[in-house]
Amino acid sequence: MANNETDIKIVAFLCNWCTFTAADLAGTSRLKYAPNIRIVKVMCSSRIEPVFILKALLDGADGVLIGGCAPGDCHYSKGNFYARRKIALAKTLAESAGLDSDRIRLSWIPASEGPKFAHVVNEFTEHIKNLGYNPARREVYI
Amino acid sequence: MSKASTVLIYGTNLSGYRIAYALGKMGYKTVMLNRGAYVDEVRNQVLSQLPFDLCWACAYAPQRLFVGLGAMQIMYNAELLELKGEAGNFTAKIRKRDAFVNNYICTECEKCVDACPVTVEKDGKKQKAISMMPKMFWENIFLIDEENCTQCGECETACPTGALKINPPVEEVEIEAGAVILAPEFDEPGEAELSHFGWGSIPNVVKSSDIARAALATNFTGDSFKRPSDGKLPQSIAIIVTPHFNEKGIEYENCNASAQAVYRANKIKEMHPDIDVSLFCRDYKCYGKGHCRMYEQAKDSGVQIIRTEKLALSAANGEKNKISFKPGGTNDEKTVDMTILITGQRPPTTMERLSKVCGVTAESHGFCNIMPFSSAKTEVDGIFAVGEFTSPKGNPETIWEGYGPLREITSWLGGKSVEKPKPPVLRDVSYEKTRTGVFICSCFGTFSDKMDLESLANRVKNFPHVAHAEIINGCCTPSSIQETAAKIKESGVNRVVLAVCTPTQKMMKFRKTVMMAGLNPLLSEFLRLREDVIQVHTDPAKMGDKAAAMIYAAAAKLKTARAMPTLMDHMGATVLIIGGGASGLEAARYLGAAGYDVQVAEKTDHIGGMADILPIDLEGHEIQKYMTQLVDDIAKDTHITVYTNTTVSDVSGYAGNFHVRLETKDGETVVIDPALVIIATGALESKPDLYNYGKDERVMTQLEFEQKLANKQITSGHVAMIQCVGSRNPKKSYCSRVCCSAALKNALILREQNIDVTICYRDMNTYGFKDDYFQTAMKKGVSFLRFDENQYPELEASDDALKIKINDISDGKEKNISADYLILSTGMEPDRENNEAFSKLFDLNLDDDGFFDVESCACPYEDASKRIMKPFELSSNGVFVVGCAHSPRSFMESVMMARQAAGKAMVILPAAKMPPPNAMYVSEVDVSKCTGCGLCVDVCPYHAREIDPIRKVAVVRPFLCDSCGACVVACPSSAAFLRDQREDQLIRSIDGLLAI
Repeated sequence: MANNETDIKIVAFLCNWCTFTAADLAGTSRLKYAPNIRIVKVMCSSRIEPVFILKALLDGADGVLIGGCAPGDCHYSKGNFYARRKIALAKTLAESAGLDSDRIRLSWIPASEGPKFAHVVNEFTEHIKNLGYNPARREVYI
Repeated sequence: MSKASTVLIYGTNLSGYRIAYALGKMGYKTVMLNRGAYVDEVRNQVLSQLPFDLCWACAYAPQRLFVGLGAMQIMYNAELLELKGEAGNFTAKIRKRDAFVNNYICTECEKCVDACPVTVEKDGKKQKAISMMPKMFWENIFLIDEENCTQCGECETACPTGALKINPPVEEVEIEAGAVILAPEFDEPGEAELSHFGWGSIPNVVKSSDIARAALATNFTGDSFKRPSDGKLPQSIAIIVTPHFNEKGIEYENCNASAQAVYRANKIKEMHPDIDVSLFCRDYKCYGKGHCRMYEQAKDSGVQIIRTEKLALSAANGEKNKISFKPGGTNDEKTVDMTILITGQRPPTTMERLSKVCGVTAESHGFCNIMPFSSAKTEVDGIFAVGEFTSPKGNPETIWEGYGPLREITSWLGGKSVEKPKPPVLRDVSYEKTRTGVFICSCFGTFSDKMDLESLANRVKNFPHVAHAEIINGCCTPSSIQETAAKIKESGVNRVVLAVCTPTQKMMKFRKTVMMAGLNPLLSEFLRLREDVIQVHTDPAKMGDKAAAMIYAAAAKLKTARAMPTLMDHMGATVLIIGGGASGLEAARYLGAAGYDVQVAEKTDHIGGMADILPIDLEGHEIQKYMTQLVDDIAKDTHITVYTNTTVSDVSGYAGNFHVRLETKDGETVVIDPALVIIATGALESKPDLYNYGKDERVMTQLEFEQKLANKQITSGHVAMIQCVGSRNPKKSYCSRVCCSAALKNALILREQNIDVTICYRDMNTYGFKDDYFQTAMKKGVSFLRFDENQYPELEASDDALKIKINDISDGKEKNISADYLILSTGMEPDRENNEAFSKLFDLNLDDDGFFDVESCACPYEDASKRIMKPFELSSNGVFVVGCAHSPRSFMESVMMARQAAGKAMVILPAAKMPPPNAMYVSEVDVSKCTGCGLCVDVCPYHAREIDPIRKVAVVRPFLCDSCGACVVACPSSAAFLRDQREDQLIRSIDGLLAI
């Protein structure tokens, strides 16, 4: 257990309509949260391919956070449900590739909940810090 | 004299905003008078009525969209002093005082707050004399505390954009307007009206809107409803619908107070199942779509719903509230930790002044009088009144109303006055070597205090994909947009990364900057330097790394970006209306008069529908006269073609370009290409299988009885009525909305002939002013008996009389009535066969009850305002459902709904061409890779994809695509892609983010 990694990296895939906007609201509200998160904006969480998640982990990301609209509230009606399946798939794939699927997390954060976004980021960062660096940082995958 | 083409909107209710939005889209200018000093000082309804506590989109979007284009002007602290002239040429004298901070050029840098030397203490918190208001949507507002401001002018000097004026003068201006819309905000009951509920005097009694207000920045979460006295979570909460218990004439129930109460209760139960929630009301008025389900949900989750005629509230030990009430003739009381009041609406206080200035008059309740059969026309030509100003209303009703009077408004206006600016000429960069420029915003020098932008710029200059890096002042005020565009041009780059701030507010401005530099927006990336880095992190080294990684990723992503033109699709100008009932015909007349070609397809051999058999409504509107006029107008209008005995046999195409095949009874077919379709197929009367109906001639439905009454076949005897027969139960869980009014209407007619009437009811669903008729009926001697939902009255029929046994819950006694006629209020039911057929043809959803469920005219409470403001108008893909096909509604309401749909069509149709909803960001197909498997067609939420039957490849209808990307992920052969988010681009940006 390594608790002192401060330079862990988390890649976050956020949907444009809800979680990306929640991050926006967290910003305009000047909420402070852990700086380890780096955001990729996608229009909908259903745009996230399992490949992206695996690619991020293989490239050395210590955690992957996926943010989408709350169930039933998706801008595209059911995009977040598609995403949920793809992420379940990505987790299985990650396990079979020897990666820790616990480093992948899906969270529903509505656009109006800036504080929740900050909370989820902090909490997930803490979680990843407890897991320590992603071993893929040091190992070479072919 | 030519007519003016500006519209003056007095007040800022949601209808007013909707009109401003619609008129802006159509090319007319609007001037909006805000009586407050900033956007929401005089509250509009959303924040005060809606339990969905954070949505301001209806007001926010039109402002953001049209103020910048010059199509909308908002005056603050404004008051209408004088109105001269006549319709088409009004001259309005207005007193106004500009807001301290012009929030269209304010960048929220907070330099003014830092510069202010005055510190004041407010509510125990120290703040400056200029301070930031709680967030309104995603926009902060800066306000000067005038009492404590020393007028030193430090803030004005510090403001980098010139948005701040410490002492704006009071000005008087004159405006030429073609039409005037009165849209003042609703009047919330205050201390005087709510004193006997203890609001303001007894601790821990709060209004629902107080909670909404407190929850503004956080949404309605677990913390939003703490006890004001000690800040603890209450263990028991009472929710009281005050209009039910207040004196008559003080406050009126807006259309969804009961539903709001149940919604609030459900939300509390959802978050804290242990809290004991009890709800006090006289009736549960649940006529909206989904309201009955909310009620069932509340019962299931353990909310105690108490119906009582009388109620009193007093203080109890421990800062608790004691509620005394009288259920079933007995006295009872309950002590709770906190009380939430769900309040109604007062008659508008602005009425008196406005009637002096404009000449409009008040109706008997003190609201603005409008012409019968109109939703907005006042007695004065060219002056319209909308929203809560004309009667108590809920949010959905108010929002819809904005579209209804559009044709009448525009008929008083001259030519269109707002020209859309021409897009700048874009440079062809396809043969140039990729050169990416990074432009880092310093927000007029303010970011430099919080972050080292110089070293960031130097660092990114060395990145492999970056050719140029520079610090800019901003790209969000007119001058800074030009400045930055010039800088981009000068640097000679052909890809742009703008490290700026929130795209929620400023996306269009960023896009404009890039386009003014002659580049296609697909060749640019916008980063939120402020929201993602500066305002949320504190460690300078980490901030630098994060910002650098974001820029690295964006530059890497742009490496393979390709410029593409915005697609345009043809938009037809004809409308097909299915169903020739009142609502269908009303929509046809509206659009025909506006000059659009309309086709009406009616299944039967004559038009008129159900309205043909309704003589008058509860308020005494003469429906038959109206229908005769309507049918007459339809026959005269050459724009309207009516096909009787005609059904729709096939539909293909999409919004703007439908192809519909109509088939007549004789087998003839007509093929038409409408741009929009309005479905107005109505509903059916329910025929029950209860109370000997169909076996005994003396038992009939309310509608059948109405016929008999009109034909003077009922002259004596005792008439009994039973409400809610076969409805509001798990099988048919909705209220039909019209039966209580119909029962009251018929009862009043019977009383005039001195015939005895007894009405057995569960809840009296008389909303708005309809409650008056309930009171009148009681006075006129109609006897009302109330039964429990689990114990319906029983019938014992003999040849002499119909004996009805009922357990009256208002005094708990069993009663027996002997009647000559038994009238069953059975309500409506959806025409299932018809609805299912159309739901297949047009791919619409049906709700759980079998009515159409269409987003754009959504009635469920929070959905309405959330979804109505989708970024594009065609949220239901060019199909509008109106009238009873959507949900049960009365004649007048059907007509109003038809008008709002027709108004909406009027905004869309003149465009002639339409871009995809997300402009150039659409999904496309690489035809050489596509195998035509059809997976993308299945996942697309908007039916924007289909398989070309000849080439057997997927094709995109860009007009319907909202660029979610589900198709890209589903495609097994990588043939589908999004223009701005191709797979290689996203992989590059992931790599980029992890590179630093």
